[in-house]
Amino acid sequence: MNKKIGVYVCHCGGNISDYVDVEKVRTAIENDEGICLAKTTMFACADSNQKEMVDDILAQKLDGVVVASCSPMLHLITFRAVVERAGLNKYNYVHANIREQVSWAHSDNKAGATDKAIRIVKAAIAKVREAESLEPLKIKATKAVAVIGGGVAGLRAAIELAEAGSDVYLIEKEHFVGGRVSQWDTLCMTDETGKELVTRLYNELMKHRNITLYTGAEVVKHSGSVGNFKLELTLRPRYIRFNCTEEELQKAIDVCPVEVPDEFNFGITRRKAIYHNYPSEYPHLPAIDMNNCTRCGKCEKVCSHIDFSQKIKQVDLTVGSILLATGFDPYEPSEGEFGYGTIKNVVTLQQFKRIVHYCDNNLVYNGKKIENIAYIYCVGSRQLDGENKYCSRYCCTSNIYTAITVKKKYKTIHNYHFNRGIRTYGKQEVLYEESSKLGDIYLQSFEDDPPVVTYQDGKTMVKINDILTGHKSLEMVADLVVLVTGMVPRKDNATGELLKIPRGRDKFFNEIHMKLRPVETVIDGVTIAGASQGPKNIMESMNSALAAAAKSFSLINSGELALEPIVAKVDKQICEWCGKCEAACPYNAFSKLDVEGKTVAQVNKSICKGCGMCLPVCPVDAIELTAYSNKEIEHMIDALIPNP
Amino acid sequence: MEKRERLVYDVLVVGGGIAGCESALNLAKLGYKVLLIEKELSIGGKMILLSKVFPTLDCAACITTPKVSEIARHPNITIYTSTRSSSIIRKDDHNFEVRLVRKPRYVHIDDCTGCQLCEEACPVSITDEYQYGMVGRKAAYVPFSIASPRAAAIDIENCTLCGACERVCPTNCIDFTMEEEHLLLSVKSVVVATGFELFDPVKIPRYGFGKFKNVLTSMQMERQLAPTRPFNTILRPGDGKMPDNIAYVLCTGSRDKSVGNPICSQICCMYSIKQAQLLMGALPMADITIYYLHIRAFGKGFNEFYAQAQDMDVQFIKGKVGNITEKENGNLLLRVENIEKGTIMEAEHDMVVLSVGILPNMDLSESFKNEALTLDPFNFVDQADMMASPAKTSIDGVFVAGTASGPMDIPDSILSGGAASAEATSYLRRDTK
Amino acid sequence: MASGKLNEGPKILVFSTEKISDPAIDMAGLLKLHYPPTVYTIAVPCSSAIKPRWVLHAFEQGFDGVFIAADGTDCPYGESCTEKTGELTRVTQEMMKEKGMDPSRLKMAAICSVCSEAFVKHVKSFTENLLKTSN
Repeated sequence: MNKKIGVYVCHCGGNISDYVDVEKVRTAIENDEGICLAKTTMFACADSNQKEMVDDILAQKLDGVVVASCSPMLHLITFRAVVERAGLNKYNYVHANIREQVSWAHSDNKAGATDKAIRIVKAAIAKVREAESLEPLKIKATKAVAVIGGGVAGLRAAIELAEAGSDVYLIEKEHFVGGRVSQWDTLCMTDETGKELVTRLYNELMKHRNITLYTGAEVVKHSGSVGNFKLELTLRPRYIRFNCTEEELQKAIDVCPVEVPDEFNFGITRRKAIYHNYPSEYPHLPAIDMNNCTRCGKCEKVCSHIDFSQKIKQVDLTVGSILLATGFDPYEPSEGEFGYGTIKNVVTLQQFKRIVHYCDNNLVYNGKKIENIAYIYCVGSRQLDGENKYCSRYCCTSNIYTAITVKKKYKTIHNYHFNRGIRTYGKQEVLYEESSKLGDIYLQSFEDDPPVVTYQDGKTMVKINDILTGHKSLEMVADLVVLVTGMVPRKDNATGELLKIPRGRDKFFNEIHMKLRPVETVIDGVTIAGASQGPKNIMESMNSALAAAAKSFSLINSGELALEPIVAKVDKQICEWCGKCEAACPYNAFSKLDVEGKTVAQVNKSICKGCGMCLPVCPVDAIELTAYSNKEIEHMIDALIPNP
Repeated sequence: MEKRERLVYDVLVVGGGIAGCESALNLAKLGYKVLLIEKELSIGGKMILLSKVFPTLDCAACITTPKVSEIARHPNITIYTSTRSSSIIRKDDHNFEVRLVRKPRYVHIDDCTGCQLCEEACPVSITDEYQYGMVGRKAAYVPFSIASPRAAAIDIENCTLCGACERVCPTNCIDFTMEEEHLLLSVKSVVVATGFELFDPVKIPRYGFGKFKNVLTSMQMERQLAPTRPFNTILRPGDGKMPDNIAYVLCTGSRDKSVGNPICSQICCMYSIKQAQLLMGALPMADITIYYLHIRAFGKGFNEFYAQAQDMDVQFIKGKVGNITEKENGNLLLRVENIEKGTIMEAEHDMVVLSVGILPNMDLSESFKNEALTLDPFNFVDQADMMASPAKTSIDGVFVAGTASGPMDIPDSILSGGAASAEATSYLRRDTK
Repeated sequence: MASGKLNEGPKILVFSTEKISDPAIDMAGLLKLHYPPTVYTIAVPCSSAIKPRWVLHAFEQGFDGVFIAADGTDCPYGESCTEKTGELTRVTQEMMKEKGMDPSRLKMAAICSVCSEAFVKHVKSFTENLLKTSN
């Protein structure tokens, strides 16, 4: 019964062998029970070594394999595939992590690292001795994807999925699609406006009968897992019936007595409680904002299509995969940050774009004509003291592009850029050059010495110690101060929390691996796209949306999924039904079974997710989890500690 | 030699770098038959030659080699190395006629075990292009240790036809009768993933590259730091001394109209910061100075990585390097316009690394015979609908992946490879024939 | 710990979770946040799957401390994880008391998937505490 085991200890080209004496690890285990073969290798994952492993397994008739290398997150799947190619069941492969958890973690202590590596490899060998061959659980996958977020990334992903042949549910929280991009005018590097781009995508979306669009929709409950996620949505009504005419509608808007700051314009204008963000927005139907509506009933009198009897609806969906494209929020400066909220003519970049949108022949704000504009960069990004250490990527380009547009539109504008080092990467560089040519002035400081905005005698002053002129203290009077605010994660992370999507140090959604699995999350079947993963410009969001669509589609394409056969097992001899396992199971996988007059627990394998929550609650220790049995865990523990 | 029969594939992927590999693999997994052609002897592109990658310091080989290996094994993917396309003609929808030229390797890949006995036997020594000229190689050689396929090749231009390799080869896989092959194929769609060229700093004579031995390119430094490195440590090529005061000159060949490249290469700041961190690990006593105009640390985790380098005491000087001169001891004198101080300074370093930029690879564009593949003003492949369909080109059915469309880093190249495969998928699905 | 010194400090067994806390421990390595090499990890699917007998077995075999790097609210298997992991920790500590063991040798804390710094802080201070109590 003794297994013939092969062990490969990887140098990882120095990543491991610079700190761990891999030869010492090899000799420490080569004479252990069952070890037929123990090798070191420069790159275990390299093609040549994979081939060698296959040859070794076949030649030596190995029935257990351990590779000691990097984290299993990277290459567990790789090596399982290798042993499978040699005809071995893949569960006879065990991965030992001696890079992330040894050589890198203890690069300050080579002897300690080597000793720990030996212990970890011994534990892996102990586990492989006990490992059993298993067959993956095959389940049917629903050929449908829920795309959450109807911004440009979500729209594009939905179209791609539909074209590939999947059913798509596009779920948008707002009453209108298009997200942030619908708020922008002409987009940098193209002649198209944000609205036009959204229009194009929306028209394309409407061509696909296998896409269902839900607006005013939120996911409130979810269960199930990859292949078969069950989602419960609530749909907020618009309180307006779909066949309403423009005319009647305008009347309704006109009579509405409620006025609130218009979020679509970042509060620079006001809107009614019955509203659309702009005429002809998608879908073509306004909505009533019930948080602010006073139910005065005036609109009902002028428009027959108002319908306050509409109720919140509930929709249940089953999908094979979920694609999250929930986007970002612009950074909201705190009160007094560079005069925001305390000095009247200090606005954010996003507000500035909307101001420009509404100005025709003259650039006017608060009734004052604007000529000298000070742009302060990196507001809310690259913070020295604050939490946002990251660069928001799009703002330098976006701002310079806006400044150029403004200067071309209103000839008398003078642009002053108070920056921390312009980051117009790639082809965007030409914009920086163009703006310099147009006479824009660039002044720079470092993180620890930002410009200061003050207000005295009716004038807004911006002051900087400019490093481009040998730290000269320079000061200007600005008609308008534009804070170039970056991207932050959505304040409302309800969907992320519901689906348990881990977030990175920057609080954006975290991918599994930036280069190996850039659109996947640790939640199997949930992919991420666009700026929900981190700041991106439109083109970059599109690339990630398409890549995420391809990934989600590949999961469900065949209609079948192979899942890990890790499930709980009840020893019917020992079990005396007490119901504690049933109570502990989050998935209702347990049921009673009568075996020769005795009531015992049984596990429904297709429901069990292998979390193991039932294990510790069993008073008679009758439950074991595949691949995590008492024997496996306890033998691993024994191997980790040298016998005293 | 012209092969008569016409080969048929769903997709031709041109370029076996990381973006082309990503596209090919995604398409193959959906069941499409893919032909991947690569002009070099190995797939894996530039990435497989790198040391570690920013901002996570993962080793590049650990990410590339398994991917390359998966592609090499995939039943739906055929790989031709040493192969270029000579003509691509769009016949009609979902129908391209492609002609390929396959250079002879003079080694039968399937029989070669990569034992390198031929390499030992070969009497010819020439500079090794995969080590960027820092060391020599033979005329019979395995390109580099993690190459895929890991098989020998004969560099016929330098070979003296002495026959030494043939005599020692244990599997008789060396075959001097191999000829150039011309192949004709039909494909439904084409993915252009031809990558980029590195700027050659010889074009900036005032930096002395090629004249001063201790002036290197960043790619040469990358090789010195890589696991498959030419030396076992970091050395000055001039005298084999370990450097202890290294300078980086950013924007070499980028943002520089005088060399015809006005745009930013997007990756040099970050790879230089990465190399600086790796050098500090390899040479703990070394001082490292980075001369920069602007640090473009814009991606996920990049600014944090930049801050980490500052914390490690990498010196950042905002300044333009005017020229470089060599001292008798091989050290280098840099004349720098220090922007922050507003002065001209002179600094001595014992090694200078030129952070060279990304240039377009225009190889393929001539292949398109009837419909032209439009290039952008910088000669990268033009993205016909950048905002809604970034992988679309001027030709229906031809998609672009990775740095063929402009400078980008590895994560962006991989996403772009994914995007190209997605668009090719929906294009193929529209084929009603 | 000084470079080159052998692993003589208190030995700690960490139970991590495959999707949440183990990636955080990986990231600690990636960021070269050093911690004592006498900290060993066994990954399980979920922290509420840890049997008290495994913990007791570790102590019997000579581990000085056991640290449960719990999923916390990030658990992909559901809300109840925090409470259940807490409960199994409490039950195990009761069993330890019965056996005359110091229950403070078992520690539990939630470690999210990017909480590498928190992990390193926990195992460092745990090591120090174990050093104090063992002397």
